[in-house]
Amino acid sequence: MYAFEFVKPKTVEEAVAALREGEAKVLAGGQTLIPTLKQRLAAPEKLVSLAGVEGLRGIRTGDGVVEIGAGTTHAVIARELAGAVPALAALAGDIGDPAVRNRGTIGGSLANNDPSADWPAAVLGLGATVVTDRREIAADDFFQGLFTTALEEDEIITAVRFPMPKTAAYAKFDQPASRFALVGVFVARLDGNVRVAVTGASENGVFRWQAAEAALGADFAPAAVEALAPPPAEEMISDLHGAGDYRAHLVKVMTKRAVAACG
Amino acid sequence: MTVAVHKPHPHDSAPLHVSGKARYTDDIPAPAGTLHLAFGLSPAARGRIRRLDLAPVRAAEGVVAVLGADDLPRPVDLSPAHAGDEPLLATGTVHYLGQPLFLVVATSHLAARRAARLAGIDIAGEKPVLTIDDAIAAGTDLEPPLEWRKGDAEAAIAAAPHRVRGRIEVGGQEHFYLEGHAALALPLEDGGMEIHASTQHPTEIQHKVAEALGLPMSWVRVSVRRMGGGFGGKESQGSALAVACAIAAWKTGRPCRMRYDRDDDMIITGKRHEIRIDYEAGFDADGRLLGVRFAHFLRCGWSTDLSLPVADRAMLHADNAYHLPHVTIRSRRLRTNTQSNTAFRGFGGPQGMMGIERVIQHVAATLGKDPLEVRRVNLYRPMAAVAAGEAAQTTPYGQPVEDSIIDALVDRLAREARYAERRAAIARWNAGSPVIKRGIALTPVKFGISFTLTHLNQAGALVHLYQDGSIRINHGGTEMGQGLNMKVAQVAAEAFSVPVEAVRITTTDTARVPNTSATAASSGSDLNGMAVKAACETIRARLTRFLAERHQCPEEVVRFSEGRVHVGTNVLTLAEAARAAHEARISLSSTGFYATPKIHWDRTRGQGRPFFYFAYGAAVSEVAIDPLTGETRILRVDVLHDVGRSLNPAIDIGQIEGGFVQGAGWLTMEELAWDERGRLLTHAPSTYKIPVASDRPRIFNVALWDGENREPTIYRSKAVGEPPFMLAISVHQAIAEAVAAAAGVPFVALDAPATPERIALAVRNARAGENAP
Repeated sequence: MYAFEFVKPKTVEEAVAALREGEAKVLAGGQTLIPTLKQRLAAPEKLVSLAGVEGLRGIRTGDGVVEIGAGTTHAVIARELAGAVPALAALAGDIGDPAVRNRGTIGGSLANNDPSADWPAAVLGLGATVVTDRREIAADDFFQGLFTTALEEDEIITAVRFPMPKTAAYAKFDQPASRFALVGVFVARLDGNVRVAVTGASENGVFRWQAAEAALGADFAPAAVEALAPPPAEEMISDLHGAGDYRAHLVKVMTKRAVAACG
Repeated sequence: MTVAVHKPHPHDSAPLHVSGKARYTDDIPAPAGTLHLAFGLSPAARGRIRRLDLAPVRAAEGVVAVLGADDLPRPVDLSPAHAGDEPLLATGTVHYLGQPLFLVVATSHLAARRAARLAGIDIAGEKPVLTIDDAIAAGTDLEPPLEWRKGDAEAAIAAAPHRVRGRIEVGGQEHFYLEGHAALALPLEDGGMEIHASTQHPTEIQHKVAEALGLPMSWVRVSVRRMGGGFGGKESQGSALAVACAIAAWKTGRPCRMRYDRDDDMIITGKRHEIRIDYEAGFDADGRLLGVRFAHFLRCGWSTDLSLPVADRAMLHADNAYHLPHVTIRSRRLRTNTQSNTAFRGFGGPQGMMGIERVIQHVAATLGKDPLEVRRVNLYRPMAAVAAGEAAQTTPYGQPVEDSIIDALVDRLAREARYAERRAAIARWNAGSPVIKRGIALTPVKFGISFTLTHLNQAGALVHLYQDGSIRINHGGTEMGQGLNMKVAQVAAEAFSVPVEAVRITTTDTARVPNTSATAASSGSDLNGMAVKAACETIRARLTRFLAERHQCPEEVVRFSEGRVHVGTNVLTLAEAARAAHEARISLSSTGFYATPKIHWDRTRGQGRPFFYFAYGAAVSEVAIDPLTGETRILRVDVLHDVGRSLNPAIDIGQIEGGFVQGAGWLTMEELAWDERGRLLTHAPSTYKIPVASDRPRIFNVALWDGENREPTIYRSKAVGEPPFMLAISVHQAIAEAVAAAAGVPFVALDAPATPERIALAVRNARAGENAP
């Protein structure tokens, strides 16, 4: 780890101001950033911790919406949403291990946009809204490829607003050593449409499998997916954990499982 | 009646292990001023070093010294085979990515590791030889191919009514001992060196350190209290750290210590040999094997290391428990630009067995038979039949199998695990299950016990009886969690008929017991137990003679029994007897020695009796697979294993369970991957998956065969370290059965490890009619 300056502002405004001075990075739960610093893969001059900022944590439900503060940990979400939105609670409860779940936050995961992270599937799968210090960004506009999002350099996620689905489920195939998603599929039935978002599989990060959405829109059943060709293997990640055609095959299998789990 | 042996005493260090008090090499408090070492590693797999600029390393904070190959007092070859191809630091050329190039000596572990990354390294790279195919194409054999023949396999196969041929590829395995490699060197006032090392082979370390420093072996002392796992990975691979520490300590005059970070440990050290086996077999309508041919191809890595005996042992277990009347086994040992593959539990035996078990499965599928039926007709003739006068059948290397109990053992296991009934039930269940499929398999193990290098089959011990009746034992074996020290302490306690608590176990130390063999080849208890027993018996004989004289009675009436020494009607405690003997100036200390009898071996001809005896066992495994994702679960395992008359059933069952789970990890989930440059991609637990508690079989029944070793081993027990590892072949076979059921074909050629990806694709390919090979 290289030396850096550490600041702990009390408000979002102060945090944004701190980000504008020099090479600064936001520190949320630190589950990706700290190992990255340790391996010297990043060398920010300054870390802006969000730990002291009021109002970033907590979950509010009502009016067909669930709003989760960006600083809320996976463990809290797993615990508190178990009744209201079981699909989100189950996803949060299956991230990493207890240490990761008790430190890592939903906002940190989204801002990082790791191609194997779980939260991007839920946000894109539900068509959620990412709320920042200055605007609201639709999920379809937010994710822009591997580790790339619509966020400005000095922009901070403050909350994520999910619409309440009729039903939703997340089916994940773990890479057994790291427990990252080798393939994770989030399926949601919303008013008037079905969304299917896939994480872990694509060279371009989380994506919507539109062929499956159309098929499930017409007939919301695993059999509707069975008839589809899997997404193109050449667009899938091919690495030591699995070849592209295995991942493409798993996308289809996991989509069917998520649909079945929706009941 | 015994007082100490044949009893389930817990591991002597168990309370220390679970409370965190057990002290490992890197936990030893070091004197003030101790320096820390790290290697700078090659960034290329093969090539010539054009430039190695160590100036930035020397200038780094905390660095005390930096040594390249030219800075060593003399050339250092670490090869355990004395092959001269394993320099401590690269000399001009590099042979794998991760090879140590230079040594950093610094004031802290972190400072050394940081500085090690600062070198300017320019290597004129050449295309590395990475895979078995690369090596075959390049002809990088370590020695000419070795071929052993019994009968005329080619003619027998040609004349057989049925034939199969095929190929199986089996991946390597990282040892993943929980304690990584570590060493500490303390320079002595007169130029001698004291070494603490995490090693299975203290004498080898002593030898290599002495050679590197130009000292007689008597000037180097190596000790090891315990290891946090070895599994063969610490048989030869610890020399680099210990020798580096010794040289740095000699140069600086200060204590030096070194430990590999986990990633470095995986990148630098060797693993289990990957193998490819091509096979051809001829058989009759019952599945009886008439002729078999095997061609082994082993990926050995960059240096000779222990690859030749490992590859030999793969050949020696190409028959497993089956009589092969006509057989040819050919073996190629291929040098590659990867980590130097080395000893790993089973030492090639597991790889060899995978070949014949695949043949059996292939034969059974071809005939439409239950594989167990085919196994049964091929098992070696039983010990009882041999005893009744039938000729013993011989192994492919000419050793008569006189002690086989495998037929009775398999029968009992099949009966107790209800194999036939469950196999039928699984077939019915599979017919009604649209997705999930199950498989069941019973596989036997026959494993040869003894080092194949005959002279290694010896051990020494040094036992002291103190005047208060307490006993301290020293032997040449090392404790790596396997419970050797407890077993040997039981032997000593039994000799004096005292509770095992009266026996003090000590650090293994080359100054107390010299010229030891590695604690390897499952031989620890067999060899060291016998040596300790001999030492104890010497002392006991002196006490007996003394007491008989003092009490004016024949020696026959002196008995050590139930914690007391009986001299006729007089009853003494051991303390009273010891004190009296001491006052009469009787020596209460003795060495002991043991050399395994009967063995001889000619590896070039492939003839002899390399093994004193065989250990047997069998397992029934039932698995379920999800053909859609390829995931597997081990639903139930039943093991019946032969440890002769167990020295310690608790420790033996622990070894069987641990060996099985480690074997199942090798065959199902542990997968090593290198990129095209030769960089090991799986060098941490985040990318390399080992079995954990939740991966153990859901139902896991382990029983010990009730019998005794027909050879006069230590209390008629049998070695247990390696044999149970191979029981896990039943898991792989059960998975292959389930894959075939899922694909609706009789046979699928499943390679190992059977990862989810490999299983899912095997099902898909088999359904599409592409049944490799």
